[in-house]
Amino acid sequence: MRPASLAELRDAVRDTRGTLLVKGAGTAQGWAGAPDPTDHVLETAGLTGLITYNPADMTVAVRAGTPLALVQQELAAAGQRVSLDPARAGATVGGLVATADSGPLRHAYGGPRDLLIGVTVVLADGTVARSGGHVIKNVAGYDLGKLLCGSFGTLGVLAEVVLRVHPLPPASRTVSIPCDAAEAVKHTGRVLEARLEPAALEWCDGELLARYEGVESSVELRAAATPGGTRLSTADAEAAWRRVAAVGDGDLVVRCGTRPSQLPAVAAHATSLTSSTAVGVHTLRVADVERLRAEFTQVTVLGNKPGVPAWGEPHAAVPLMRAVKQRFDPEGRLGPGRYRPWF
Amino acid sequence: MSLTDLRDQLAARLGRDGIVTDPAHLRTYECDALTGYRVVPALVALPRNAAEVAAAVAACARFKVPFVARGAGTGLSGGALPVADGVVISLQRLRRVLEVDPVDRRATVEPGVTNLDISRAAAKYGLYYSPDPSSQQVCTIGGNVAENSGGAHCLKYGFTVNHILAVDVVLPDGTTTRLGADAPHQAGFDLLGAFVGTEGTLGIVTGVVVRLLHTPATVRTLVANFDSTKDAGDAVTAVIAAGIVPAAIEMMDNLAIQAVNATVDAGFDPDTAAALIVELDGPADEVEARFADLTRLCAKATEVTIARDAEHRAKIWQGRKAAFAAVGRLSPNYFVQDGVVPRTRLGEALTRIAEMGEQAGIRVANVFHAGDGNLHPLVLYSEERGEHERAEALSTAIAELCVELGGSLSGEHGIGTDKACSMPRMFSEDDLATMRRLRAAFDPEGLCNPGKVFPTPRLCGERPGPYRPHPLEAAGVIERL
Amino acid sequence: MAFDLDRALLDECVHCGFCLPTCPTYAVTGDEAESPRGRIYLMDLATRGEAPVAGPVTQHLDSCLGCLACVPACPSGVKYNQLIESARPQLDREVPRDRFFRSMIFTLFPYPRRLRVAALAGVLYQRLGLRWLTRRSGLLGRLPARARALEGLLPPVRAKDLFARTKGTGTGQTRGVALLTGCAQRVFFKPVNDATVRVLAAEGCRVDLPKGQGCCGALSLHTGRDEEARAFARRTVDAFEGYETVVVNVAGCGSVLKEYGELLRDDPGYAERAAAFAARVRDVSEVLAELEPVARRQPLPLRVAYHDACHLANAQRITRQPRDALRTIPGLELVEVPEEKICCGSAGVYNLLQPAMAERLGRRKAENLASARPDVIATGNAGCLLQIRRYAEGGPLIMHPVELLDWSIHGTAH
Ligand SMILES: Cc1cc2nc3c(=O)[nH]c(=O)nc-3n(C[C@H](O)[C@H](O)[C@H](O)COP(=O)(O)OP(=O)(O)OC[C@H]3O[C@@H](n4cnc5c(N)ncnc54)[C@H](O)[C@@H]3O)c2cc1C
Ligand code: SF4
Ligand code: SF4
Repeated sequence: MRPASLAELRDAVRDTRGTLLVKGAGTAQGWAGAPDPTDHVLETAGLTGLITYNPADMTVAVRAGTPLALVQQELAAAGQRVSLDPARAGATVGGLVATADSGPLRHAYGGPRDLLIGVTVVLADGTVARSGGHVIKNVAGYDLGKLLCGSFGTLGVLAEVVLRVHPLPPASRTVSIPCDAAEAVKHTGRVLEARLEPAALEWCDGELLARYEGVESSVELRAAATPGGTRLSTADAEAAWRRVAAVGDGDLVVRCGTRPSQLPAVAAHATSLTSSTAVGVHTLRVADVERLRAEFTQVTVLGNKPGVPAWGEPHAAVPLMRAVKQRFDPEGRLGPGRYRPWF
Repeated sequence: MSLTDLRDQLAARLGRDGIVTDPAHLRTYECDALTGYRVVPALVALPRNAAEVAAAVAACARFKVPFVARGAGTGLSGGALPVADGVVISLQRLRRVLEVDPVDRRATVEPGVTNLDISRAAAKYGLYYSPDPSSQQVCTIGGNVAENSGGAHCLKYGFTVNHILAVDVVLPDGTTTRLGADAPHQAGFDLLGAFVGTEGTLGIVTGVVVRLLHTPATVRTLVANFDSTKDAGDAVTAVIAAGIVPAAIEMMDNLAIQAVNATVDAGFDPDTAAALIVELDGPADEVEARFADLTRLCAKATEVTIARDAEHRAKIWQGRKAAFAAVGRLSPNYFVQDGVVPRTRLGEALTRIAEMGEQAGIRVANVFHAGDGNLHPLVLYSEERGEHERAEALSTAIAELCVELGGSLSGEHGIGTDKACSMPRMFSEDDLATMRRLRAAFDPEGLCNPGKVFPTPRLCGERPGPYRPHPLEAAGVIERL
Repeated sequence: MAFDLDRALLDECVHCGFCLPTCPTYAVTGDEAESPRGRIYLMDLATRGEAPVAGPVTQHLDSCLGCLACVPACPSGVKYNQLIESARPQLDREVPRDRFFRSMIFTLFPYPRRLRVAALAGVLYQRLGLRWLTRRSGLLGRLPARARALEGLLPPVRAKDLFARTKGTGTGQTRGVALLTGCAQRVFFKPVNDATVRVLAAEGCRVDLPKGQGCCGALSLHTGRDEEARAFARRTVDAFEGYETVVVNVAGCGSVLKEYGELLRDDPGYAERAAAFAARVRDVSEVLAELEPVARRQPLPLRVAYHDACHLANAQRITRQPRDALRTIPGLELVEVPEEKICCGSAGVYNLLQPAMAERLGRRKAENLASARPDVIATGNAGCLLQIRRYAEGGPLIMHPVELLDWSIHGTAH
């Protein structure tokens, strides 16, 4: 099924029976557990385009099937961007919310949950619900958008997403500090203590990258002031950030959240790793996910390797997740197999 | 099983000085900072630690008695309003800062710790807790989590929800859990994000892990005077549109300035129609460059004063933050409204509000977070002169105007009791029913702060306000099916 | 007439809660009724006749220290001082309680001569460990908590100080001032008075000690004994007639002297004179701030924690001057103390009437002060000195700021 409007989407969900798999661009199909074969596959690729965009308000409403890249293109024309830079180039906005995916900009801007200000979602029974709105500050009602972050299509089908946007920085400069994981923790502290305000601070396989964004004179000054850093040319910087994105291309890739200072312990499990060092969010290729899970609980498997269970021991909030799933999709129509063995 | 049994059990668990039962004493808990709503609870519990909170909740669950968490009682939407025959669970004895970790830049605190005390505890490491509601010296972090509180500096740095790593929660059945984790990556749904801002209706927070930031390298603050609130509003729109993200942009109109000047000597011009406080912070060079742009964008300002030093800046903020309460000097009674409009419609909103006030014959003072479009019109009236109803109607009309302009009923104070009946203006029945599913997942029995956020027939009359097409729907921005 | 407070004063409270974190009793209990906002709420309820005066209303107003930390914290300008001052006599009238203990305090404290006798007994008690005194005395036996409070507060006085008198300096210099020597102060703190005279003289003042002065009425006023307070006030105004500056070194007294205008407002014979008198009153730190330091100071390499006495910081808004005065001493380092604005629990005779709360506050204050590792704790109020001394036992010296100045100027600690 490939609905082209909210009404068609609603009808597609409401008027069918049986299980449903939501599919965006298909860039994260294997994340969070391989889905079982379903009666229907619901593609969001027909739900594309900007709904409203008024640059002076610095918000944009888009249909969930719109690729982020397309949104970025439109915003760039007005000197703006969504401050989200996941590795998956073709991913749709809805898919990024559902997978709670983000890239190095999470250092300064957080992830989808921090940029999302409104959603429209179609529930398993065809109910259409909105929450949030079109303004950046809003506490009216529950924030269902946040709930859908990391829901992997198991709670509802995202139809529309409203995001806050930021001005495109006039200039940017990346600095590289070659170091090991333990030193990266210390360097991170130094960069932060020096109040250099990087937009991204990422350690990737032996190199700490600090990206500064802002007015030109300032980014250059900050780059020069970075303790132990070498200023990279634009081309070298692009290559370095491509290496960061490429960590996700491995066979068995996981994302893991820990205290930032635990980076060395996490890195010990990795064959390749990139980490937002001030945040404590790591993306890594691993050989043995169970060993990692034995040490760290907040692990999500990205990339599907047969035979590897997507989730480990249920953590304290899993019973609540089940209760939420039960209320939103009591028949278990949406994304069966995802979150196995938790669901 | 009765309330008496519940009281005896709580007394046994919390001790005699852990509960309040005397009628006069109970009445001191009958309202929060929104005094228009008052309900005397059956009992107040004053637990000393998380285990006692859990025990109190478990007892309420056993007896099926509703309960309401209470922080400092500074809420402005009646969120901590007690339930008749229910229990108030005060978190004011859970006030320890358990850990400040300068390496991983976080603090672990009990829910009754004030917002400002977190920053005080972090100060020796050059760190601070960023969201800064004007009430920060008194409001608790538990209340902040419940309301997803904002503040002047949230424009650049984000709201409470963006700064909480984890919370320990006593669920409405008395069991405990942790939402969130050591880093903003959780295996599973973002239950933490969904929990923050639910106004105490999903459980009671007994522990909070917050992110700490380094204090900025440089701070520059200016106060710009304008001939009209419209000019000031337009300046805000221009600054935002120019791609500057100030740490804060706040506006005060003449009435608000008068009130502030009576409280704090911050040097605000008593004759100006409106003043903007704009603050930039960050790396020195960045700030200097942007500051020049900023001064240029305030071209219509009649006067621009730049804060001389940290002390002057502190005074400016002290004045701004005292504004709500200082309005008590201008008027015996007032409502604090809290609506949001898109930032391009600030000037328009202010003009409309002034007109509405004039029509109603009621003074409206404005002091608000202009950069977010978060208005706080203060509707001044006198109970004695019998203006209550007119003022209340005006205040409600202003909130609904915000929705009409494409904004929201509340930017930071919450829906609580106050605006529950206006919710159908913003959300359809399906929207609200979907939110209730989340509530039911946490609180199937409906014992945790019932009657807040969602319209109920009891509060709003038989039929909660009729659904009218959402303005965005009317404008074709959203479709309602 | 039951209980009635000025409606306009009550209505000024907008229930914002900004005063909560400043209130010592709230810090300790976390109970709304033990906060300024809660107390105003209770006063409001009682005024409306919606709550009985006896019971929680009286209980929670009695537990108010009267430290007035809530006043400067209030953005709405609530005059809590006026509210509590007019509530207290009404409580006393409506709800008889503690009669015996209260009247014992009021027959003792405001009168130096009687107090000397009692204090002498205290000295004997301390020196000789005369437990029999306790056992024999029915009063102490019946009120153990309070007896302990009283006993603990007896400062280490030297018997000879009890009967010696501070002398003024006779020679005229740049400025003539008259010193209030106080009642409890005169007995317990003769050294402070002596130091005050010496320091002011060294800085170029002529210091007189007018005869006929007695208690200023502070203790009575703070506990709702208005009439008594007014009688003391009239006597004080008379005694200080003709002096251009009235110097006080006890914060609690100073704040009341400065309120004489209000207190005697309805007394046609005194209203005007009292107001004029009030305008001439200065805390010793204010006088020192107005004077150019002329006396040579010798360095005192000490870490000093300055404790803001409520009646100085909150009632008179004097926080800078005493610190400035201390900073004129070379080598002296002022250290920061956590919760510096929270009352020590002394608050006039509060520690006698509410010993349990006073003890909790005293310990908390002592711990906070100790955490700053000072060599000396300096504070400008007799009550605070006594209270802190009691809980900070064995730790740093506890001195009045003028004593430190005296030490620096005259080279010896007296
Ligand atoms: C003068 C003034 C200025 C203000 N300025 C701002 C401002 O700038 N920005 C802003 O956002 N708000 C502002 N507020 C509103 C208020 O201070 C905030 O909403 C604050 O977060 C409330 O905190 P509290 O501790 O007083 O909570 P309370 O008022 O006691 O409770 C608020 C809600 O939180 C719930 N709650 C409290 N503690 C817990 C807990 N531990 N677990 C679960 N639920 C809990 C209660 O049930 C209630 O629903 C202001 C208020 C005043 C009076
Ligand atoms: S600060 Fe003032 S107005 Fe606010 S609650 Fe306290 S006394 Fe009332
Ligand atoms: S005077 Fe002191 S004790 Fe009394 S209410 Fe005010 S702050 Fe609290």
